[in-house]
Amino acid sequence: MPLFLEVLSALAMTVLAALTLLDRHMVRACAWFVFFALSVALTWWLSGFIWLALLELLLGAALTSLFLFHSLGMRRGEITPRGRLTRWRDPVPLTWRRGLLRLMPALLVMAMLGMALAAHPNESGTEPLRLGGLGLVGLGLWAFALHRHLLRRLLAFNVIGTGIFLMLMSLVRDTTPAAGHGLVITGLVIALLGTALGSLLIRRINGLEAFSAAAFHPPGRGAE
Amino acid sequence: MIERLGLHVLPHATSTELHWVLLVLGLPLLMGVLGALTRPVRSWPVILVCLLPLVALALLSRQVLDEGAQAWLIALGPLELHWRANALTLLLLLLTQLLTLTSAAYAPAYLSVEIGARVGQAWLWPLQGALASSLSLIWLAGDLLTLYIGLELMGLAAVGLMLLPGRVEALAAGMRYLLLALVGSLAFLLGVALLLGAWQRLDLAGLALAAEPGPLLWVAVALLSAGLLLKAAIFPLHAWLAPVHGAAWTPVSALHAALVVKGSFFIALQLILVLVPGASVAGWLLGAMGSAAVVWGGLLAWRAAKLKDVVAWSTVSQLGYLMLGLALMVGTSPSVSAAAWEGTWLQLAAHSLAKAGMFFATGNLVFSTRQSSVRGLAGVSRGMPLSLLSFGIASISLIGLPPSGGFTAKWLLLQAALEGGYWLWLTALAMGTLLGAAYVFRILRYSFVEGGELGEFRRVPWSMEILALMLALASLLLGLVAEWPLSLLRVAGGAP
Repeated sequence: MPLFLEVLSALAMTVLAALTLLDRHMVRACAWFVFFALSVALTWWLSGFIWLALLELLLGAALTSLFLFHSLGMRRGEITPRGRLTRWRDPVPLTWRRGLLRLMPALLVMAMLGMALAAHPNESGTEPLRLGGLGLVGLGLWAFALHRHLLRRLLAFNVIGTGIFLMLMSLVRDTTPAAGHGLVITGLVIALLGTALGSLLIRRINGLEAFSAAAFHPPGRGAE
Repeated sequence: MIERLGLHVLPHATSTELHWVLLVLGLPLLMGVLGALTRPVRSWPVILVCLLPLVALALLSRQVLDEGAQAWLIALGPLELHWRANALTLLLLLLTQLLTLTSAAYAPAYLSVEIGARVGQAWLWPLQGALASSLSLIWLAGDLLTLYIGLELMGLAAVGLMLLPGRVEALAAGMRYLLLALVGSLAFLLGVALLLGAWQRLDLAGLALAAEPGPLLWVAVALLSAGLLLKAAIFPLHAWLAPVHGAAWTPVSALHAALVVKGSFFIALQLILVLVPGASVAGWLLGAMGSAAVVWGGLLAWRAAKLKDVVAWSTVSQLGYLMLGLALMVGTSPSVSAAAWEGTWLQLAAHSLAKAGMFFATGNLVFSTRQSSVRGLAGVSRGMPLSLLSFGIASISLIGLPPSGGFTAKWLLLQAALEGGYWLWLTALAMGTLLGAAYVFRILRYSFVEGGELGEFRRVPWSMEILALMLALASLLLGLVAEWPLSLLRVAGGAP
């Protein structure tokens, strides 16, 4: 793949990941995630990993997004919140101080990883794909530490995972692609299972909380 | 260390004679599906069926003990998986199958008296089967890809088991556990990626030879151990453990504390011994974490208000001993590490048996008194003598009093620490014993309280009482027959 295409795809993935992780409107964030997964699939395709591109398309873009939207309780053709307790907006406010404070652990891990990659015996770590992966890992870690909303943490987990897969494949592309494929495919399946379980749980917890809230404040108070 | 872990046979791996090992791996899963379909209501059919994997294990053992440590190569296209079995693997497999069997035998009575007919019930069986299979895969694995698969399957099965109660607090604790397990596995995968990128291989024996010290190796080991120790609830990454146990079903808690955290610990131990066997800095770091875990876990258990929390925090403390054992194997002299090696495995087995027995006994007590707090135990010495006896016997091993397995294990660790002159670790071992006695006697004191209004005791099915007692007795007797597993381990150390 030509260098400028590689740079372009790495940039596109990073920007889409940032939009996914920072949009406060959850439905929109999940929609950005679909585009992010599509850009990742495209990157795999351009790098010559056809199977990974197809799997990312199926597991990442299609199934994971379905579960994410399911956890929000969305139905077809709806874009406004339904029900009293469906939180389609993250209620926790974001301040600069909090944001910078939570950036520290992500920076620490990034520095460690940068050091390790710089000591890599085979080649220099300036490949755009690798840097893109590193960027995704840092971004995802920051978002994971920053957000309390469970769905946003699931999104952050998916972004970190994708970053790791990209770094892994860029490291083993020329030497042991079979082992790399094995790890990435296992990782993709596990990420899907984890996201599915998490989404179902979020939906269920919201439902149970709404139920117990309704038990405390019965809705028939208009008669009083 | 490579010989002790049985990894030296990996280069001579064959792809034949796989049948017994595949049976050992597959049967638990099959039994689990069978359990979901039939939903047994009595213990004895469960026990009879669970003997089948034990038979397969016996046949695998004959193969290993007759012909020495075995290695297998499984080729999936261009991808190669390495498995191996030596005496240590056999002991861990035996422990896994015995504990899964008792937990499965405990379940029918528990489900019928405590849980009642609930929708999620049937899931207990296949998830337990998946847990046993994935743990077996972890014990057998000789390369990082198999370890990764086993670790992930185990994590997801464990999360699923935690969710079964279906109440809000169980779901919230399960969600936290899921996120943490996922983060742990990401750290693990990142470490694996660095290792694979640098040395182009995933098999542990090859990595042990190829890996060169340097920033890359240190960062990779730090990532791998951080992910695994988070999953193993090692201090200071232990805070998630008690809430998770508080909401879970009793047989699930028992399996989790006895086996699941040990699975992650085993992988961490293996990787540290393979990749940085001589790093004394790592040894000091691990020892400091272990000592802090022993003391802090003991203090938390001593102060806990709920009975299940006492047992959960005592797990943190007991895992600290395993960390101390590992610390005594990294960068120490051969005689020190030999004693620590035996002490660690004995401690692992003794704690698994004692902790599962203790969780069963605790579950019985909580069920009978309908109270989850330590104060609610007043009068159980009269109402529930057998479960209290099981609790007491299990705690003998946890405190480390003779003649229990816990005592022999601690004795070996003490010997290793004395020989190497690690006075700090010696102090931690001594304090752990005192704190262990403190938290156990606190519970016994409450249970012997008489007078006042004593509540009604619910009758506990006898199978639940017997199983708790049997596990507690097993942990006690392990100290008397400790020479048998230890001699097996020694044979495995030398034989090809």
